[in-house]
Amino acid sequence: MGKKILVIDDDPAVVEYLTTLFEDNGYATCSARDASEGLEVARREQPDLITLDLEMPGEWGPRFYRKMSEEKTLKNTPVIVISGLSGHKYAINKAVASISKPFDRDELLRIVQENIV
Amino acid sequence: MADELLFIDRDVNLTAAISVYLARQQFRVTCANTWESASGHLNGHSVCIIIADPDLPDGDSRERLTGFKSERPHIPLIITGGPENLESLMEHFQATALCYLPKPLKSIELDIALQHARDSLTLNRKIHQYKKRIDDLHQGQTLYRQLFDEVPCYISVQDKEFRLTATNRLFKRDFGHQIGDHCYKTYKHRNSPCPDCPVAKTFNDGWHHQTEEVVTSRAGKQYNVLTWTAPIRDGNGEITQVMEVATNITQIRRLQDQLTSLGLMLGSMSHGVKGMLTALDGGVYQLETGIRKKDPVRVELAFDRIQQMVGRVRKMVLEILYYAKSRGMQYETTPVDAFIRMVAQTIEPAVNAHGIIFDVKIAGDAGAFEIDPNWFQQALVNFLENAVDACVTDTEKPEHRIDLSVLPDGEEEVIITIGDDGIGMDAETRQKMFTLFFSSKGSKGTGLGLFIAHHIIRQHDGSIAISSEYGKGTALEIRVPRHRMVKSLTTESLM
Repeated sequence: MGKKILVIDDDPAVVEYLTTLFEDNGYATCSARDASEGLEVARREQPDLITLDLEMPGEWGPRFYRKMSEEKTLKNTPVIVISGLSGHKYAINKAVASISKPFDRDELLRIVQENIV
Repeated sequence: MADELLFIDRDVNLTAAISVYLARQQFRVTCANTWESASGHLNGHSVCIIIADPDLPDGDSRERLTGFKSERPHIPLIITGGPENLESLMEHFQATALCYLPKPLKSIELDIALQHARDSLTLNRKIHQYKKRIDDLHQGQTLYRQLFDEVPCYISVQDKEFRLTATNRLFKRDFGHQIGDHCYKTYKHRNSPCPDCPVAKTFNDGWHHQTEEVVTSRAGKQYNVLTWTAPIRDGNGEITQVMEVATNITQIRRLQDQLTSLGLMLGSMSHGVKGMLTALDGGVYQLETGIRKKDPVRVELAFDRIQQMVGRVRKMVLEILYYAKSRGMQYETTPVDAFIRMVAQTIEPAVNAHGIIFDVKIAGDAGAFEIDPNWFQQALVNFLENAVDACVTDTEKPEHRIDLSVLPDGEEEVIITIGDDGIGMDAETRQKMFTLFFSSKGSKGTGLGLFIAHHIIRQHDGSIAISSEYGKGTALEIRVPRHRMVKSLTTESLM
């Protein structure tokens, strides 16, 4: 079984795109549409990498990241921020990468490959 | 050039003799022995001095000579005559003649009379010149005054203390007639000179200087003006005053505002657009891979997705076009508590990134208010972002805090306060802070944020009170009525 990626985004069309893309490239996927669900899925599935949108209804990406960092089993999981916000660079300092929407598919796959442990 | 002298006498021998004498005295002499010949010379306009014994053989030459003299009062007239005639000649000519010489003519008397005539001639010429100059000057002055007054700019002349010593009509109309008042008081309602004053610079270096300023008229209107200064020097080349010409460019700025607001609105929608483009990318990807894998289920799904996304793009483009035309507010009854917490959450990443203490206080049951949540949120976030910037800019204090509160005593209105202990503002910055394109942040600021925020609060019939002190911090108090006064009001466009 391949490495597992958790996709967190409130737009189901984007979730569908990302999961299909990752699955086509040999990764297993799981997804969540907001921060609290994301935390739940992350605990359960223990993904190898997480892609995170910043602006979502309810809790935003940064808060998810803070909560996730407090959990022993999750705090070292690499996070890639994929967001349409222009000022996203400072939002999560420790993210392994920040990508703007719309993104280049090959670049995303390359970053995933480099960072997935 | 020698002066032309006309010698009139019926005695041919006398005229011949005298003309030889006078030619030696550097006169060009013309002689006439009849009125007919005299009048021919007189009408030639070049005669400067006349010596005449008016009793000529042809006609009434006394009267004619008087008539001629009254037309050309500046030509000196010396009357001669036999002793028996002299008295009646004096009676006739009186003060019209410069002097009277009895015949036979004595050379000394003639010389003195001619000297008088020459002096009188010179004096007359000088007076004529001066008069012309005064006329020119007067005409010039009137022209300059008219120019000064009619120029469609604010013109002021200031002394070294920035006191207004002269202002033009437009200046008086918009800023009042306040000769002797200070420029900074009149233009900016300040009590001390403005920093980077172009007039002060011109006093210092004698060059022209240009700035863009925001000034406040006596009616309280704010104008964007482009100022240009020029030194005024005295006879020794010292700069005694400086002229400041300010062109009102508010109209141009307004036009720019409109274009910018369109850009800004597109910018605020860019997040949504980016999301849609990503989803559209997903559809295309699935279509592409579906066809390659010959997977009809995926192709069909991809087609659905693309269709869906095209619909969303279409809707948004139509919305953009709609908003570009009239920026309508979508008022909703919104719970204050949840709204303020959402605003706080938006700014939290920025606050945390700079280690600023952020305190949100909402007193008791804050109730609800009727706002456009999207626009109102944008306004509050904007104020908070400025508070963050103010804290980051201030390196004096070891740590900073920002307070966002909803005060308890707002029955008819909601009172929101934002306080920071950042760098603060001086009076001028405070006056300009809501002006489009005014920024105190140098290249980092666009001068857009607070302008838009201010408009949004105003569209909600709200008000903003600011207190700020440079080096200490800034406090904003925003008051917004809980209910809309007129439900169906056609909202004024952002501009």
